[in-house]
Amino acid sequence: MTATAYIHAKIYPISRPPVEDGVLLVESGKVIAAGSPVPIPSDARIVDLTGKVVLPGFVDEHTHVGLWGEWYGQPEHDGNESSNPVTPEVRAIDAIWPDHSAFADARSGGVTTVQVTPGSGNIIGGEAAVVKTFGRTVEDMIVRNPSGMKAALGENPKGSYGRQGKAPVTRMGNAAILRAALYKAKDYERKLRAGESDPSKAPDTDLGMLGLLKVLRREIPLRVHAHRADDIVTAVRIAEEFDIDFSIEHCTDGITVAEFLGKRKAKVNVGPSMWHRAKVETLNISTRTPGELARAGCRVSIISDHPFHPIQFLSTAAAMAWASGMAEDDALRAVTLTPAETLGVADRVGSLDPGKDADFVVWSGHPFKVRSRVLEVYIEGNKVHG
Amino acid sequence: MRLAAGASCALSPGRDSEEGDENGLAATAIVNARVCTASEGRGIPLWIDGATVLFEGGKITAVGTGVPVPEEARIIDASGKIVTPGLIDAHCHIGISEDGAGWAGDDGNEASDPVTAEVRALDGINPKDIAYEDAVASGITCVQVDPGSANIIGGETLVMKTWGSAVVEDLVLKRPSGLKAALGENPKRVYGTQRKMPTTRLGNAATLRKALYAAKDYMRKKETAKEPDKSPELSLRHESIARVLRKEIPLRIHCHRADDIMTALRIAREFGIDISIEHATEGDRVADRILESGFPVTMGPSLTDKSKLEVKDIGFAAPVAVSKAGVKLAIITDHPVLPIQYLRICAGLAVREGMDEDVAILAITRYAAEIAGVADRVGSLDPGKDADIVVWSKDPLEYDAKCEHVFVDGVEVKAKSEKDGDPR
Repeated sequence: MTATAYIHAKIYPISRPPVEDGVLLVESGKVIAAGSPVPIPSDARIVDLTGKVVLPGFVDEHTHVGLWGEWYGQPEHDGNESSNPVTPEVRAIDAIWPDHSAFADARSGGVTTVQVTPGSGNIIGGEAAVVKTFGRTVEDMIVRNPSGMKAALGENPKGSYGRQGKAPVTRMGNAAILRAALYKAKDYERKLRAGESDPSKAPDTDLGMLGLLKVLRREIPLRVHAHRADDIVTAVRIAEEFDIDFSIEHCTDGITVAEFLGKRKAKVNVGPSMWHRAKVETLNISTRTPGELARAGCRVSIISDHPFHPIQFLSTAAAMAWASGMAEDDALRAVTLTPAETLGVADRVGSLDPGKDADFVVWSGHPFKVRSRVLEVYIEGNKVHG
Repeated sequence: MRLAAGASCALSPGRDSEEGDENGLAATAIVNARVCTASEGRGIPLWIDGATVLFEGGKITAVGTGVPVPEEARIIDASGKIVTPGLIDAHCHIGISEDGAGWAGDDGNEASDPVTAEVRALDGINPKDIAYEDAVASGITCVQVDPGSANIIGGETLVMKTWGSAVVEDLVLKRPSGLKAALGENPKRVYGTQRKMPTTRLGNAATLRKALYAAKDYMRKKETAKEPDKSPELSLRHESIARVLRKEIPLRIHCHRADDIMTALRIAREFGIDISIEHATEGDRVADRILESGFPVTMGPSLTDKSKLEVKDIGFAAPVAVSKAGVKLAIITDHPVLPIQYLRICAGLAVREGMDEDVAILAITRYAAEIAGVADRVGSLDPGKDADIVVWSKDPLEYDAKCEHVFVDGVEVKAKSEKDGDPR
């Protein structure tokens, strides 16, 4: 396969400072080089991008793309297996529909990689996966699976079950159910070990417990939906009790506990910030939150939570974080390299560096200018939009 | 005092001025600005460079270059800044669907009957809704507040300022400014799930027609009653609908899909009433028919999710196409569906998708005022209008624009001190 050289663009590799009049050299779906000067093979196809801006495809760390009802309605609503507050055995990949219009929406906004997570109706909602936003089958699209175990605190789980008179009815119940599930998984591991030396003692297969063991063994993080500061602190408390890796999802009230989170260099996936105060726990919603948490030392990703903030406007969410005080580099990183790193897929995506997937977007101008448009989107070197 | 979520400026609502002019009565001159007048002409251009905006007694007294500034006037040097009229959101639920208040603060839909023409947004508005702070801090000084779309006829709308009093009456510009109606999925879902009419779009249209005919009958009986005791008993419901039938106010009809828009136009023609098309998500598909009708549209919220079938094509392409067809439109947030402080961002994204720059600004100023029926008071910087004025750090459609001064009725919404901090 011959190489393609995209020349004369302003390139934001993200891992390095932007390059004026740069060259992006792509071959066999991979980045060969991005910068200036770059030697261009004599047989390379040349694409002139004078006046254009090139960035990596955006990475959205928390979405429900391909999983949520949206305009299809109930038949396509596979976000919450809300038959039980603890469902670690369910997996996002079993419901992701590659033909869902949300994938086209993602591509149209320059988003090429998404983590798809189950919803927040359950205390433990199931396994999340990282997928590209283009492909015929989910297997073709997977970058990492599983990429985390979804959990939730606060109003959603206690609302879902409390209304039915079932546990959890309170935040106390939320925490107790999460702890009980993690202890049960620890017990299950002990039984598994006993079964190794004496097969007669081996427990029956328990898919949910096997899923939670991935968390206890730190193979994947617990991704805890938490809006209010006290829920955020509860998430950290439980994660530290069990010595597990975690991320805080939404982190709406994060400014209140910015120092607490910063000290831990916490992974925080902030958003959707351009949203109304729909619930009491989102009372302190603000586009200032990503910047304040980054300043405090957190690892900040800006998320759409699609469909709650439409993913085609992820750039708008990042731009508003920047306009509200986040450093430009931090805001761009929060939708590219930071989520790639915290998702464990930075070897493939998140920046324009040699050896990474050629997932890139041609913009008419800087994404933080309101008139800038996504012109073309490429995944692994193939044009998927524009 | 708390400040707006995501708002782009440091302004504190509340009349806590330390400077002299508490009442906004003394003359103020904003000078050296690039001014978007949003004027409809009459010798005043849409944009004027190096202009002065002079206001006194809560009203604009002059705009242009070479405007003599009274010696005692407060001078605000706006070199390098952009000045616009206060922005207007022509369709939102601010104050009746309160932010962060859950069920307790949700008074948007009196969903006990599909026809509730007798209810009034006025009676459900809490002027202390925190969202008013977001509005004024992001340059929005005037809003039309609509009841929701659960009912075929949802109740009276009104137009109000966003700042200045805890008493709604003090803020109202016009009441009623319209009567809210709805077609499409919302009413048929709300009542259909209870097995009540309407359960279909057929039922939607029939319910609306029946309500209009019932009010016509009521009006006829009142007119033809020979003696006072033969007159029908007072019906607040029919009286409210009668205002629409007499063309005193428009029926403001929520419709997303093109076929619902056509149903709205059909019923308007049948009864000879004025309407506005609210949302018009598929308005691009019937833009020629809307143009032919002469009725305006409000479009939005385009920055929200595809939450139901009738909004599956939501986005900025439709408002761009509708504006290009020549239909007068206002860009709206439908707050809280999209938080009100992002009104200007919606105008910016419409420009990104191809809307004329001037049309986009007008769609959140004068066109919005005209559609809401308050253009005699607000929407442009013409002499005689209310001194609702915003000084922006730069093009207000840009993400990082800040509003540096906001005036409502000539009174400045004071800049808050740094030490107050912004808890959000």
